[in-house]
Amino acid sequence: MRKFGIFLLTIVSIGLWVACGGGAESEAPADTAAPAAEAARRVDPATAASLQGKVNYSGQAPQLARLRMGADPTCDKQHSEPVYAQDLLVNDNGTLENAFVWVKSGLEGYAFDAPTGQVTLDQQGCVYLPHVLGLRTGQELRILNSDPTTHNVNPTPANNRDWNESQGPNAPEKIKTFARQEVMIPVKCNVHPWMKAYIGVVDHPFFAVTGKDGAYELKGLPPGTYTVEAWHEKLGPMEQQVTVAASETKTVEFSFGG
Amino acid sequence: MVQRLKSWWKSLSKLEDQPVPERDPIVNSSLAIPLALSSLLLMLSLVWAFYEEGWGLRPWRVYQDEFQELFVSALEKKKPVSREEEQAILASSGYQELLARLRQAEESRQSDLQSLEQQEQQIRQRLAILTRPFTTARSEIQAKRYEVETASASSRESLARQLDELRQRNYRIEFPDGPQDYTFGELEEEFNALKAEQGHVQQRKVELLRAPARLQRQLNEYVNNRLAGLTEVQLDGLIGEARGQGIYIRQIHNPEINLVDRCESCHLGIREPVTLTADEMGGRRVFVSHPRPELLALHDPETFGCSPCHNGNGVGTVSVTKAHGKYKHWLWPLFAKENFEAGCLQCHQNDRHLRYADTLTAGKDLFQYRGCMGCHPRDGFDTEPRETREVQKQITDLFAEKQAEQLKAERLLNLGDRAATNEEANQLYADAQAVTLDVAAIDARVDQLRVRADELLLEVKKPGPNLKEVRMKLRPEWIPRWIENPQAFRPDTKMPQFRLSPEDVQAVSAFIWQSGVEGPLDRQPQGNAERGRQIVESRGCLGCHSVGEGEQQHGGNFAANLSRVGEKANYDYLVRWVHAPRRRTLPYCPVHARDITPEDYAGQGLPFRFDLEYNRCPLGDHSLQVQNQNVMPSLRLTEQEARDIASYLMTQRHADAQYAPVPFIEDQALFDRGRFLVRHHGCAGCHEIAGLEDEGKIGTDLTLEGSKPIERLDFALLTHDAKKEGWYNHKGFFENKLRNPAVYDQGKIKEPLERLRMPNFHLSKEDIDRLTTFLLGSQESVVPEQYHFNPSDQRADVQAGWVVVKKYNCMGCHEFYAGQPTSLVDLPQYQGDGREKLPPNLIGEGARVNPNWLARFLENPALSREDVHRNGVRPYLDLRMPSFDLSAGEVQKLVKFFQALSRQPLPYLPVPQEPLTDRELVLARGLFTSQAAPCLRCHATGDPRTDQTKTAPNFALVSERLKPDWTRRWIVHPEIISPGTAMPSGLFREEAARWVFALGRVPGLESYPGDHADLVVRYMFQFTPQEQRRLTGR
Amino acid sequence: MDWAQLWEIVSLPDNVPIVALMLLVPFFMWYGLRQSFATDRMIARLEADSKLAKDHHRKFEPYRKGWDQKVHVWPYLLRIELLAAVVVTLILMVWSITLDAPLEEPANPNLTMNPAKAPWYFLGLQEMLVYFDPWIAGVVMPTLIILGLMVIPYADKNPLGNGYYTYKQRKFAILAFCFGFIVLWLAMIFIGTFIRGPGWIWFWPGETWDHHRLVFEVNRDLPEILGITQQPWVGIFGALATGLYAWAAGWVCHRFLVWNDFNKEIYARMTLTHYLIYQFFMITMLSLPVKMVLRLVFRIKYVWVTPWFNV
Repeated sequence: MRKFGIFLLTIVSIGLWVACGGGAESEAPADTAAPAAEAARRVDPATAASLQGKVNYSGQAPQLARLRMGADPTCDKQHSEPVYAQDLLVNDNGTLENAFVWVKSGLEGYAFDAPTGQVTLDQQGCVYLPHVLGLRTGQELRILNSDPTTHNVNPTPANNRDWNESQGPNAPEKIKTFARQEVMIPVKCNVHPWMKAYIGVVDHPFFAVTGKDGAYELKGLPPGTYTVEAWHEKLGPMEQQVTVAASETKTVEFSFGG
Repeated sequence: MVQRLKSWWKSLSKLEDQPVPERDPIVNSSLAIPLALSSLLLMLSLVWAFYEEGWGLRPWRVYQDEFQELFVSALEKKKPVSREEEQAILASSGYQELLARLRQAEESRQSDLQSLEQQEQQIRQRLAILTRPFTTARSEIQAKRYEVETASASSRESLARQLDELRQRNYRIEFPDGPQDYTFGELEEEFNALKAEQGHVQQRKVELLRAPARLQRQLNEYVNNRLAGLTEVQLDGLIGEARGQGIYIRQIHNPEINLVDRCESCHLGIREPVTLTADEMGGRRVFVSHPRPELLALHDPETFGCSPCHNGNGVGTVSVTKAHGKYKHWLWPLFAKENFEAGCLQCHQNDRHLRYADTLTAGKDLFQYRGCMGCHPRDGFDTEPRETREVQKQITDLFAEKQAEQLKAERLLNLGDRAATNEEANQLYADAQAVTLDVAAIDARVDQLRVRADELLLEVKKPGPNLKEVRMKLRPEWIPRWIENPQAFRPDTKMPQFRLSPEDVQAVSAFIWQSGVEGPLDRQPQGNAERGRQIVESRGCLGCHSVGEGEQQHGGNFAANLSRVGEKANYDYLVRWVHAPRRRTLPYCPVHARDITPEDYAGQGLPFRFDLEYNRCPLGDHSLQVQNQNVMPSLRLTEQEARDIASYLMTQRHADAQYAPVPFIEDQALFDRGRFLVRHHGCAGCHEIAGLEDEGKIGTDLTLEGSKPIERLDFALLTHDAKKEGWYNHKGFFENKLRNPAVYDQGKIKEPLERLRMPNFHLSKEDIDRLTTFLLGSQESVVPEQYHFNPSDQRADVQAGWVVVKKYNCMGCHEFYAGQPTSLVDLPQYQGDGREKLPPNLIGEGARVNPNWLARFLENPALSREDVHRNGVRPYLDLRMPSFDLSAGEVQKLVKFFQALSRQPLPYLPVPQEPLTDRELVLARGLFTSQAAPCLRCHATGDPRTDQTKTAPNFALVSERLKPDWTRRWIVHPEIISPGTAMPSGLFREEAARWVFALGRVPGLESYPGDHADLVVRYMFQFTPQEQRRLTGR
Repeated sequence: MDWAQLWEIVSLPDNVPIVALMLLVPFFMWYGLRQSFATDRMIARLEADSKLAKDHHRKFEPYRKGWDQKVHVWPYLLRIELLAAVVVTLILMVWSITLDAPLEEPANPNLTMNPAKAPWYFLGLQEMLVYFDPWIAGVVMPTLIILGLMVIPYADKNPLGNGYYTYKQRKFAILAFCFGFIVLWLAMIFIGTFIRGPGWIWFWPGETWDHHRLVFEVNRDLPEILGITQQPWVGIFGALATGLYAWAAGWVCHRFLVWNDFNKEIYARMTLTHYLIYQFFMITMLSLPVKMVLRLVFRIKYVWVTPWFNV
């Protein structure tokens, strides 16, 4: 009907005809100015702050399940005294071992030097050593088998490539890397169902695994506000908001309920 | 004012009163200005016309200009990226090594090449000098010879002489190394010799260069294979092409489907070999490349064009609206974004599951699962009843034919008896014999049909439960509440809400209740609800059913949500139902069209017995319907487990739920009214109801609904709103109807029974889109038959298989293609480690298992008649493969389906295994039992003592269950056959063209020359019971 | 009130000519009549004053002494015609550029469009079908129209009014034509285009063309109304009624023919054939509006019902 409008118009006042030009309908091109990606910031060591603290456990140490390795005598042979599961190791000072503490968010837009050195995961006496370990994205994980029996290393990640390779007795070590941040990746051995390990893959260097003293320390943090998470295989994750000023050393305690 | 008007009117009306000019206007007035003006305007209108012709009516010209710029700049942007990639590849060791080899090859041949070059050079020189005199001489001689041949006897003499002279004449050739003399003969020899030598030299050159050329090829391939996109050179090529492109209509023309598509005149990026996003093309979506190139690869645009799939006016070029067919008079407007998969149905009517068309497939699912097919006939849905009728008809026809044939035979024989000569007689007897043979053939056919008919009795299913059982199954108070508004009780139920008055609800409930059958139902002791819950969570019920409400709801949505079963069900019946869902109280006889009661059996002096094995009707020689017509399978639970589950389900209820007493339910007076309503609303489409088993479908046939003329879709009083608001089209009609099926009754004054009957399914927006897509696509295809996807090869088996798979919701538990979601994967209990508790994925199943075994397995997943409460193959899984009581036909379809999916031939003839020598046997056993080899840690061996702890299938089954070739591939590379499997990879490593055991030393194995993987496979396929005992006995 | 829909109809490319007609016909009527009246007044003056008639010019108003009585066709007429030609061409150009051919969807044999309308220039005939049997409306009437137009020059016994605009001297011709063309032809087309909606139901302008609209009308034959149901009485009654109409209409036309002296003169000039032809066409023409009134107002279907034909 638009054209009919033109028509009447034209009849009435021919002078206006120019106004009714060509009839092509075309959407105007939307201009898309791509936002310039701001350059990644580096951490300035001068102002670097650090976080430290303990991961406490208010409950009391549970009786850990005993690992029955009868299925594979070669495993049994290596242990003189009984072996227990490591899923909830409470230290004498009421802290937790094998808790994984890391900066969950707040570091966006920072760039870090490529990770160097390797992290080792050993299979010894049919248990993984260490039980929980941290790793940077792209950092090399060195997997050994010091047992006289065959293991298979079977991580079950949610966001990384998954693989499942067997490693015979004194087989050559495996070198693996994980490309994407993921906390945590469970590792298991199908041959020895009791074997368990957890790998935390983080795309920055600020993570730690608590030891016998249940303490952790994250050094060289740029000042800012962060979400720090403590993860435990049994007790799950726990978050805290922290703000650190330049070259400040802050203590952040986590305490899991029993 | 009035005066003013008056005078004006006068001036208009009365000519005399108007001022008369001094001089006669006719003669003296000049028309120059009006003439000039009008002619000028005429000119301008001409210009306008040309503009319209050139641009106004050809907007695509503008598009093409624009595209060229954007495209070129986009490519320019891509260049540096691919350059980097390319650099990386060039730097890679593989490339460098190839390059080195190339260089080396070239150098090694350098000297020879040069010498050859020189030789060729010289030859060429000599030839250059020689050729001209030679050819001139030759032509002169040939001409002369012709003269001689055709000369008259008289002149021949002299001419012959001249010819000889020419032959003898001396030719002096000036070679650089001094002149040389030749006769023509010598000249010819010399010339040919040189030619031959030249050829020879070139030949050698080619041979010399062959190796380097091959390397060069490899080099190029190396780059191309590793490069994700195009190389910089290719990009430059594209740019050049784009620059060179003229402005013209891009047209696809396929006379076979009289298709003319000019879409690409504006959508220029669609088929470019690079992906173009809107951002790259300056935000112009019209220029992006096709989002699914793989689809274009399957459907070559040169053949199929665009409009057969997308609709729209392919020929239109004058404006976007016109080209997209978005105007009143174009009957096939471009499909909206959310429905564009409707186009697939043009050719893929018969694909129950269609890859790349999730919306459409979901639409078909809804059409089946929500019971649309209960009321609406639609090709490809609910086919069993129709097939049953056809089969019955065929049988009767064949009987008639048989009788005719027999009479014919009879006649022939009589004729034979009365024949004049023996020859005639024998001829006639022979004919008679032929006819009787036909009769035999007919008998065979009839028997087949009979079998098929029985199968169909098993195959026919209904979307809703069997309402004959209500008296035993349900609490009467619950029925009216449910009928009144099912969603109020169970928000996501497939049962739709009918618009019934309270009285009608009572009548319907009463009828349903009174039409139910009574039967023996043993009292059941209570079970353990907690254990029941565990079973429900772990045994696989959640593949189809969901439990919990609202946020807590989890599990499949194929079958009912179980969260309020406790309010409706009768415990004793529930136990029976869970234990044997297909079990009927009374068998139904399709011939007598009623349920057969114990009395009927007694009347014939028969025991009251019916089941899958025994399904003969006591009242005649035909089969009974011995199953409930629902797809719920038997999980082969023990009575106790059934009780536990039932007890758990009975706890699933709202504590505060109140149910009014229902005195009317036994009121005989309501029966007829109820029956009438039930028929009127087509309840029998989805439910089995006593007396209404053979009800027809009450809805319109939707097979071609999408191409119904819009005038035939009754918008009723909404027509004008629809037109004003712009939804006066099929899409609008379907969407509104689905959103509120009563919508087109709005404002109309109708009797209750005249009103639209379609009940309200309370569909979500997505579901409405899906169904709309399906309906929009249900059109008369514009594409001719031969283009439709009705394959005759294995792909047909795939089509047929999907129908069965969808029917029984196999996809609720199993993965059939990579990335297919199942109801189970997301459940918490199957995360992380739990993943190994999931049922096996069936990708490549056909390649894995022996089809004959598969058939057996599908018939009886326990693989045993006695010990049925377990999985036949994976006893270690809590989930249990249920027994579906499939008909032989369905089993066949499924087996063919799997074989076809992995392109395996049928019938399957296994390759005979070379028997193991004693040594090999010892080695293999050694390998199996060695510390290094983890096989026996996970895999069961059929030894009840150890098998509890095992987490992988039983070796004993291998030989009958698996295919050797697959088994070999599997143990070597499990991760590529089933990603994420518990089966570890790296068991074998390749070593000089054979696979050797990679994990540690096995005595004697090093010295074994053969392939270790082969050894293991052969061992497994020759795994004998005593071998098994040996293994387990250790 | 649904003016949007009215605009939709008005603005159909198909209907451009009609819309133009609605504007142009009145204009040219006025334009022509104005000149005619002027002329008439002058004629009156001259007839009144014989002296003036002697020396007064014969050129029509407006006029001033000194203007030449006659002017040549070339250039004075032709240049105007040229101008007209240019303007018309211009209009046609713009028209053809701005309005495309109104193509619709491919015809569907199982689905007749509603309303199904003839092209605008035949809508008059189609509308007539409502009032007469097909054989009359579709065959007789068109034939008569053509014949009538052919007959005009011969039937015209009035020597005056050649070469100049006059109303007084050609009252009859003008009125008759206006009646035939405007009332019986344009009006019909107008009705057919703007008034007749789905189901060929009568919709006033601004009423919604509703496909579901139902109207209650019973059309009965005149004899039926009067309670005559038996053949042959029905036929006979019809014949009488029609005859009566013919007589009445004829009488009216005759009265007109002998209205005043001027007419009487013409009447005197007429032969019987002329007179009969004149009467025949006048009666037939009048029959249409009469039948329309009967049908639309009194809901009468047929007046004369016979086994062979109905009128």
